[in-house]
Amino acid sequence: MLEHREVIWILVKKDFKIRYRSSVLGFLWSLLNPLSMMAILTLVFSLLLRVGIRNFPIFLLTALLPWRFFQIGTMQSTGSIAGNPSLIKKIYLPRHILVLTSNLASFVSFLIEFTALLPVMIALGMTVTLHILLLPAVMIIEFLVVLGISLALAALNVFYRDFYQIWDIALQLGFFLSPVFYDPSIIPERYQFYYSLNPMTRIIESTRKILFYNVLPTLFDLATPLLTALILLAIGYAIFRRLEPRFAEVT
Amino acid sequence: MNVIEVEDVWKKFMIPHERKGSVLDAIASTLSLFGGRRSIFEEFWALRSVTFKVPKGGSIGIIGENGSGKTTLLRLIANVMKPDQGRIHVDGRVAPMLELGLGFHPELTVKENIVVFGAIMGLKRNKLRKQTDSIIEFAELKRFEDAPLKTLSSGMQMRLGFSVAIETDPDIFLIDEALAVGDMEFQQKCLSKFKEFKNGGKTIVLVSHALDLVKEFCENSLLLSKGEVISFGETETVVNEYIRRVQGP
Repeated sequence: MLEHREVIWILVKKDFKIRYRSSVLGFLWSLLNPLSMMAILTLVFSLLLRVGIRNFPIFLLTALLPWRFFQIGTMQSTGSIAGNPSLIKKIYLPRHILVLTSNLASFVSFLIEFTALLPVMIALGMTVTLHILLLPAVMIIEFLVVLGISLALAALNVFYRDFYQIWDIALQLGFFLSPVFYDPSIIPERYQFYYSLNPMTRIIESTRKILFYNVLPTLFDLATPLLTALILLAIGYAIFRRLEPRFAEVT
Repeated sequence: MNVIEVEDVWKKFMIPHERKGSVLDAIASTLSLFGGRRSIFEEFWALRSVTFKVPKGGSIGIIGENGSGKTTLLRLIANVMKPDQGRIHVDGRVAPMLELGLGFHPELTVKENIVVFGAIMGLKRNKLRKQTDSIIEFAELKRFEDAPLKTLSSGMQMRLGFSVAIETDPDIFLIDEALAVGDMEFQQKCLSKFKEFKNGGKTIVLVSHALDLVKEFCENSLLLSKGEVISFGETETVVNEYIRRVQGP
């Protein structure tokens, strides 16, 4: 991996360029998208349904940003092998690098989004405390979750493009099964265990504790998604390695 | 010393049949990816027991009819595919010129593509700026350096591919029909460059239907038919054998 770091960095930049090429607003869309989502959800839940959560816009944004990275990171990388047949067929490059660079590009995008929207969130009444120093750890755990899932999806998608559609639906479901626009305490006690199996639950909760409730996430908040991330990475990498030898034959 | 050793190599492809069965069939064939049995794929052996060696500084031509396994063999040497059986040993850095270009990205400009594919092929970043200039110069694409690749003709893309490959200074060149789309002038330029490389001890593998080119350029040749080696030896003899087979008795 280290010997390829130069290539990885160049590929990340390439990915980034291609995503925003031939669009006038370019990266600005990455900011407008979560902001408009926030506005819509605030309108629906805060004004129409009158969900009694204080400062609902911040409550939303602290979840929307990590959720967007999860969604875009896994979706973009699903096609990172199947969508690059010429690279796969013509030049040898360790193939997992393509998945990794796709994820890294989404991650960089997420970090920029976050940094750019931080002043907006502060203007909307968010207080930043020293707890924010723990946020990078939460982000890295999420990155590992995304990478594990992406490795499996990118490899499977080479053989069956259905996985792209399946994952698209799974993400729609996941949006509602993650505490983006509600507090996880509304989930009935007997489902709490299954609910917390979703790694995004703890990741969103940790982010929210740091930025919204201004408390430290518990060890449990961080250890569970980390453990899930490592399991997903192991499974994802195993699937990837199993299918990799035939990539050039099928793409 | 041999830089390429191909020993008893077999390569199998699975030809999918467009028999869209039930969901169960699809699941069964998915499972077959993981080592299960039942599948709707038909086996096809693209290479059967191929063996040959290329010494350092040697040049070998690979000839044969369409579908005889030439490109597959090149892909195996380029490490893009893995053999099902047998062993391939390649000593040194390989520059694959498989079909057109190197897999450039159509949306990126000529310069950006050079940076990306130069890096993939091992150009060092600190030397890249200087090399970019000489790549563009060799490809004669100065006017197009900031144009998206998709606006270039196929011949221009091929020229760019060649120029990048040449600049990476590899030990082994794999060339698959790529020269065919270049104009005569550029072909000549490449050929003289290759002669220069050859004299400098580099190894060249050339897949081509242009038998004159193979004769001029390769001391040894390999004739493939249906994935099997029909003959391997001095180019003159092998090419004559090929012509004899095509013309029939």
